[in-house]
Amino acid sequence: MYEFAYHRPASLAEASALLTGNEEARPLAGGHTLLPTLKQRLAQPSDLVDLGGIAELKGIREEAGGITIGAMTTHGAVAHDQTVRRLIPALADLAEGIGDRQVRNRGTLGGSISNNDPAADYPAALVGFGAVVRTTAREIPAEDFFTGMFETALEPGELVREVHFPRPDRAAYAKFPNPASRYAVVGVMVAQRGGEVRVAVTGAGPSVFRWTDAEVALAGNWSPAALDALQVDADGLNSDIHASAEYRANLVKVMAKRAVAQIP
Amino acid sequence: MTGTIDRVGAAAAETSFLLNGRPVTIRVPPIRRLSEALREDLGLTGTKVGCNAGDCGACTVRIDGRQVCACLTPVGQVAGRHVQTVEGLAVEGPAIGGRGGHEARLTRLQASFHRHGAAQCGVCTPGMLMAATDLLERNPAPTRGEVEDALGGVLCRCTGYRKIVDAVMGAAEDGIAFLVPQAGAAVGARVAKTDGIAKLTGEERYGADAMPADALWLRAVRSPHARARFRLGDLAALRRAWPGLAAVLTAADVPVNRYGIYPTGKDQPALADGEVRYRGEAVLALVGDADTIESLTDADIPIEWEPLAPVTFEAARAGGAPVLHADLPDNVLVRGRVVKGAVDDTFAAAAAASVVEVETAFVEHAYIEPEAGWARRVGDRIEIVACTQTPYMDRDEIAHVMGLSREQVRIVPTAVGGGFGGKLDLSVQPLLAVAAWRLGRPVRWTYSRPESMAASTKRHPARIMARACAGSDGRLLGYDFAGDFNTGAYASWGPTVANRVPVHATGPYHVPHVRALTRALHTNDPPAGAFRGFGVPQAAIAHEALMDDLAAKLGMDPLEFRHLNALRAGEPTATGQVLEASCGLAACIAALREPWRAARAAAEAANRAGGAVRRGVGIGCMWYGIGNTSLSNPSSMRVGLRPDGRIVLYNGAVDIGQGSNTIMVQICADALGLPMDAFDLVTGDTDLTEDAGKTSASRQTFVSGNAAERAGRGLRAELLRRLNVGEDAALRLEAGCVHARDAGGERTLRLADLEPDARGDVLSAVGTFDPPTTALDEDGQGVPYATYGFAAQMAEIAVDLELGTVKVTRIVAAHDVGRAVNPIQVEGQIQGGIAQGLGLALMEEYVPGRTENLHDYLIPTFGDVPEIECILVEDREPLGPFGAKGIGEPALVPTAPAILNALHHATGVRITRAPATPDRVLAALRAAGVGVTP
Repeated sequence: MYEFAYHRPASLAEASALLTGNEEARPLAGGHTLLPTLKQRLAQPSDLVDLGGIAELKGIREEAGGITIGAMTTHGAVAHDQTVRRLIPALADLAEGIGDRQVRNRGTLGGSISNNDPAADYPAALVGFGAVVRTTAREIPAEDFFTGMFETALEPGELVREVHFPRPDRAAYAKFPNPASRYAVVGVMVAQRGGEVRVAVTGAGPSVFRWTDAEVALAGNWSPAALDALQVDADGLNSDIHASAEYRANLVKVMAKRAVAQIP
Repeated sequence: MTGTIDRVGAAAAETSFLLNGRPVTIRVPPIRRLSEALREDLGLTGTKVGCNAGDCGACTVRIDGRQVCACLTPVGQVAGRHVQTVEGLAVEGPAIGGRGGHEARLTRLQASFHRHGAAQCGVCTPGMLMAATDLLERNPAPTRGEVEDALGGVLCRCTGYRKIVDAVMGAAEDGIAFLVPQAGAAVGARVAKTDGIAKLTGEERYGADAMPADALWLRAVRSPHARARFRLGDLAALRRAWPGLAAVLTAADVPVNRYGIYPTGKDQPALADGEVRYRGEAVLALVGDADTIESLTDADIPIEWEPLAPVTFEAARAGGAPVLHADLPDNVLVRGRVVKGAVDDTFAAAAAASVVEVETAFVEHAYIEPEAGWARRVGDRIEIVACTQTPYMDRDEIAHVMGLSREQVRIVPTAVGGGFGGKLDLSVQPLLAVAAWRLGRPVRWTYSRPESMAASTKRHPARIMARACAGSDGRLLGYDFAGDFNTGAYASWGPTVANRVPVHATGPYHVPHVRALTRALHTNDPPAGAFRGFGVPQAAIAHEALMDDLAAKLGMDPLEFRHLNALRAGEPTATGQVLEASCGLAACIAALREPWRAARAAAEAANRAGGAVRRGVGIGCMWYGIGNTSLSNPSSMRVGLRPDGRIVLYNGAVDIGQGSNTIMVQICADALGLPMDAFDLVTGDTDLTEDAGKTSASRQTFVSGNAAERAGRGLRAELLRRLNVGEDAALRLEAGCVHARDAGGERTLRLADLEPDARGDVLSAVGTFDPPTTALDEDGQGVPYATYGFAAQMAEIAVDLELGTVKVTRIVAAHDVGRAVNPIQVEGQIQGGIAQGLGLALMEEYVPGRTENLHDYLIPTFGDVPEIECILVEDREPLGPFGAKGIGEPALVPTAPAILNALHHATGVRITRAPATPDRVLAALRAAGVGVTP
């Protein structure tokens, strides 16, 4: 039989100590991804460090005009937080669209971004808003954080503490969900802050990416029509039972237009 | 019921939390699934497990008031928190009669579910109730949209969700009083289910819910290849390495290792013998303690595989492919044939002719309850407790596989968490029987979701070529149909499909000249078997596309064209059968006429405005023969009277959620002339009930209902005789006496004065009915069914031209059911059938190895099922019990055609490959040059 040790630390320092220097140890957040992979033996950690008991990882606060969210804050808490709703409504909308209520009541921001599923919603918000990921070791700009399919810049033992989202002037998120899981087949966050426009795409590729052609087009003309002439190359996009790469390429454009259209 | 089963994970540790208001402490690994701890360690089986992956939501419980999936919540994370399960919903309030006569309490929400018929099979109901309780606590008066959103994480395969939303919206209504019909007023009443309360409290026991504590566990090792030869390695070494293994069963351990639906042609092994024919076929059974069985992975099992190139449907159709079964040249399992008149000549003379090609996919039943059960040996008998649609066939099949007599086999069906045809084949039963017989200990087995999907039967994929023609007067002249059906690796119900389809190929129309030919072909795909409609839904896509196209060519309205050609009483069918009565299609179509005209006009007006969304309205019609095709399929029912005046219906017709436990009582009560609430039910058990056949072919209301009526009338006749009163006497039960009043006055029979029989009944009667049919001749001519259901449905849709998505916005469904014995349940069947038809049309496609879960295999969710208006046409069937026919399968058949026809109306693009997924629709729109108009 395969066994491992289960820990439930009460502080971040304790959690870090358990994880640091032990490459076979894994943190456990909401458990929605890790529990099934454990049961299928896809992951076989030596130690499981449950972060659910660490109060300092939870919470939402206003900071420098933007919002800072603790890693163990659930999607449901983000979706229903009045500060998020007031300052960055597109972020609340995105959180409200993650999975179903059962997922939103358990799944966490830190768990989602540390896993970096290519179809997760949050990466589009982090990259779209130019967020900063604060870990137990350092601060990582969102664009440097997501490095590939199920891969991040996190070092072994390094934990996400919180994420700081600067407030955009205007932003909207549009996604084409998997009808069952509500994962993003394609999700597009369109955001403008000062003179900068960002179009962050999740679900379409191995990891979140910026559609720079669209950013340039929208910077010159903030309207859905500005994207009409653009084409998205299907090469390198994801292809699965739900959508071919070609279908996803079309979705990127249509979802981007629909995101722009949501913004007055 | 406690244990520290320590499989995957850390050492057991104590976790304390509040469970339904009471403090509990359990000692299990903290990583154990909460669902498992509740069910296995704490004995609360009201929380159901449908997928163990967070997809189905059946395991939804509340933690500190919030709904979560218990299957994805580690026990360690509920420390110090409050967990509420379905068993903890109603702890106060008045008690009412629950299961087996003991008391149950219901919340207003549960009572509303009962009143509205929101639970059919009931296996998703605990999850629905927990999600709804969470919602209502925060929002006591939610909108429909808010209900759909809050419950959106729980899947239901039976109801089509409409009545669930109705029940949540109606939860504020007062009271837990339910309709109790007076004697003689049960048929036609909107009465709640006789077995409904237990489904709302978590008391109901499904296949996985009543496992004996001392049972060994069983797991099958299944083939990862569609076609392969294999060699087993050193199993003795495996046994030595895993001392917890009690047995490793191979093909050699199965006494008669061939089973199958039909008396001849038994072709399916319980365990493959050196060769596998589909991915998911069982090759070994591991039996042992729970730890061992859960810990052994397939990688630990010594099997040497030699994969071979699988026979695809295309290869089987083309001919010349390797033969799967030596006795079936060219892989043709069976051919079906109905020929009447001179069809080729007709096309030459017709004013209009159309051709269509249809392609459909494997469709998975996706019942929320995976196959489950247990078996034990009792002396020289084997007893199997499992979910099934067909206890008597199971008994005979197990006797065959075990080499025992029928009398040595007892089947005890549990409540069934959805079937739809998928639980008509054996699943867990044969290997449980072999293991329990050999080891002399109870053995249990629950399929995992991926196992259920990989191993079980599917709807047949079809490739259909059909053409039809009509005269200038708009009357159909000829119909020519050729259909191939992929029946997969084993026969299962393939012959049923191949024989039923030709009879129904023309659709519910009068067509003088017909040729309908079918083949069921073996491939290395999963066995295709019985699935709600037996091939008729696939054929309906073809005939309804042709009707639309012919109407267009003749310049006729599609609805009026169908009305003109609708089969009417006195006209012959394709098999030459002349229906004398209960032929209500024209009435169904007429009932749609007004909504049809209004919706078509509104859609066309909206489309003139342009934009990304196009609206469309389509119609689909159907007919469906009730019962088996040209085969004897009798049912018997027994009703008994107890000395205390209670009435017992011995009901062998398995209720798979559709409601036969209620329908049979309604019918029997009115035939007897006594009230429903005097009845108790003994269900299923082959030792206790009569044989009421299979719950399939939409036959239970018509066939078993007739038996229930005859039993009721038989018992009534006996009572009247003993009381010496006339036929119109009114009966009354009171204090262990039957009172009768007629023109001659009142008489009384004291039941305690009579001698009870071995069952404890002082009087009883058995009723039997077998629908009158004839064999079909070599041209398929004859009387295949005693009666037919008819329907017309209209679908309104919106198509997004940029995404290729199709949103169904409204369905109007007119069904001729002969007589609605219980209108709530008829509506429930229609709504649930429509949801499955919608899935067939737009999203459902099973691909072996790729969609063996409920997030890659898509079934309709709350948001997918539109407003449904049910119109019940009651054209009485003289042969039916109180005029009733069937509704289970008819509900599904016209939906996909109506949606696909609406897609054509919206866009001008004809899609005949189902499912019409967004990428396929978008590609078809682009190919046709249909896009957004500025």
